[in-house]
Amino acid sequence: MRPVAVIGAGMTKFGRSEWPLLKLMNVASLAALNDANLGDVKVDGVVVANMGAARLNKQTAIASALVDRLNLFPAMAESVENGPASGASAFKVGYQAIASGMADVVLVTGVEMMRAVNNLEVTDFVASLSHPEAEYIYGVTLPGLAGMFARLYMERYGVTREHLAMVAIKNHANAMKNPYAHIHQTVTMEGILTAPEAVVNNPPIAEPLHMFDCCPVSDGAAAVVLATQEIAEKLGRQVVRVAGIGQATDTHAVHERPDPTELTAVRLAAQRAFSMASLTPQDIDVAELHDAFTILEIAESEEVGFFKKGEGHKALAEGVTSLGGKLPINPSGGLKAKGHPVGATGVAQLVELTWQLRGEAGERQVENAKNAFACNFGGFGNNVVATVLTREG
Amino acid sequence: MDEKVYGARCKDCGKEMYPAHARCPECGSENLEPLEITGEGKVLTYTDLYALPLDYEQRYLRLAIVELDSGLRATGQLLDEKPKIGKRVKTTVGVVRKSGDRKTHGLQFVPL
Ligand SMILES: [Zn+2]
Repeated sequence: MRPVAVIGAGMTKFGRSEWPLLKLMNVASLAALNDANLGDVKVDGVVVANMGAARLNKQTAIASALVDRLNLFPAMAESVENGPASGASAFKVGYQAIASGMADVVLVTGVEMMRAVNNLEVTDFVASLSHPEAEYIYGVTLPGLAGMFARLYMERYGVTREHLAMVAIKNHANAMKNPYAHIHQTVTMEGILTAPEAVVNNPPIAEPLHMFDCCPVSDGAAAVVLATQEIAEKLGRQVVRVAGIGQATDTHAVHERPDPTELTAVRLAAQRAFSMASLTPQDIDVAELHDAFTILEIAESEEVGFFKKGEGHKALAEGVTSLGGKLPINPSGGLKAKGHPVGATGVAQLVELTWQLRGEAGERQVENAKNAFACNFGGFGNNVVATVLTREG
Repeated sequence: MDEKVYGARCKDCGKEMYPAHARCPECGSENLEPLEITGEGKVLTYTDLYALPLDYEQRYLRLAIVELDSGLRATGQLLDEKPKIGKRVKTTVGVVRKSGDRKTHGLQFVPL
């Protein structure tokens, strides 16, 4: 297999888009293409990550539409739908095309426009990934699954609502340093947990999870350009190499897992990515984890191997995962504050890590980051993609 | 109208499962028969869902995963004013979702 590098990265500001879907995609794509500065080198593949354009925006075959918009003919093109892990899945498809020799330069663009419909509709759209007969019919939603997961996890490992709030406080603080983040709002322990008005400011969503434990509903797009390492070197770019990708699946119904507090697919995807990269969790300098709910950042930080099971919340409380700590997690603000346009999220995680590895992350830069890790969590952990990126030189 | 909830049992190795799969998770056999999901058990975890999905008009929806004494687990609605992890419950079947004129039956757990 040929080594593959990220040679361009770009995204739109997450939040509420005033642009239609296609423009959202083309703005992020052009940002990545301009960053790659390809000159005469042609893009010969396009992979779009998207979960719901058919339902939310009444548009299908959007990868072909993007090729047309950007005049990238006759590049091969397709969309990848893998729930909230669509982004990293599309990145994997782009990687495979180049590593196998089928393509030399691939544009990977993730996009979601979720605010085109009302909240009930968007909740139902995401809930449709749950098991139709054993979960969905009961009114199960993603926050519902996360609420049940959180209660059991907290009971078992001594995690408290204060720990969950620490995730929100940290990620909101990081997002203040990210101009692309959906939410620019500093939150405090008083404001969301301990002051009397916290009951009003931070209402319950799926007990024990409250509003500030859940990611917002966002529009947004993110894009990367992948190329052979040879082309990356020829273009004279700082090479950010795709060192490892791992993916794993788990049962559709969460209750069928031998231990519903274990995210086995997260563990296996990470192990596979680390093994391919010949690195260990201890080699990682910066990570983007899929904190659609605060509890997931803690649980994933353990499953991927950064901390022992039941110790993630302690590392969080000690500041290990804050900017300036030993292993900053979600310097971008994470899904929690940067936002979660589902199809775009996995790509946006890798955009942030590319910037981090190139030293272009501004105020939220993790000093001298060399190895970076991302976890993109699909379903409620039934399909997970982990990626390791490494700076060469 | 069939108001029972079914998983499956493998006729080759005896493995019970809920929900049903097309192949046995234990031995891979396709030789499966329906298995009614019913009985007593204990609450493994639960949530009060305030961000209500489509089709529900109430203040919150109480959902739970219950571990049945048979060893199978099931997700369903918890009809208990004082929920607690580990509390004993039994299964009943009731209307769990109404979408227009269509009523869907499913598992509801009530305290013993
Ligand atoms: Zn069997």
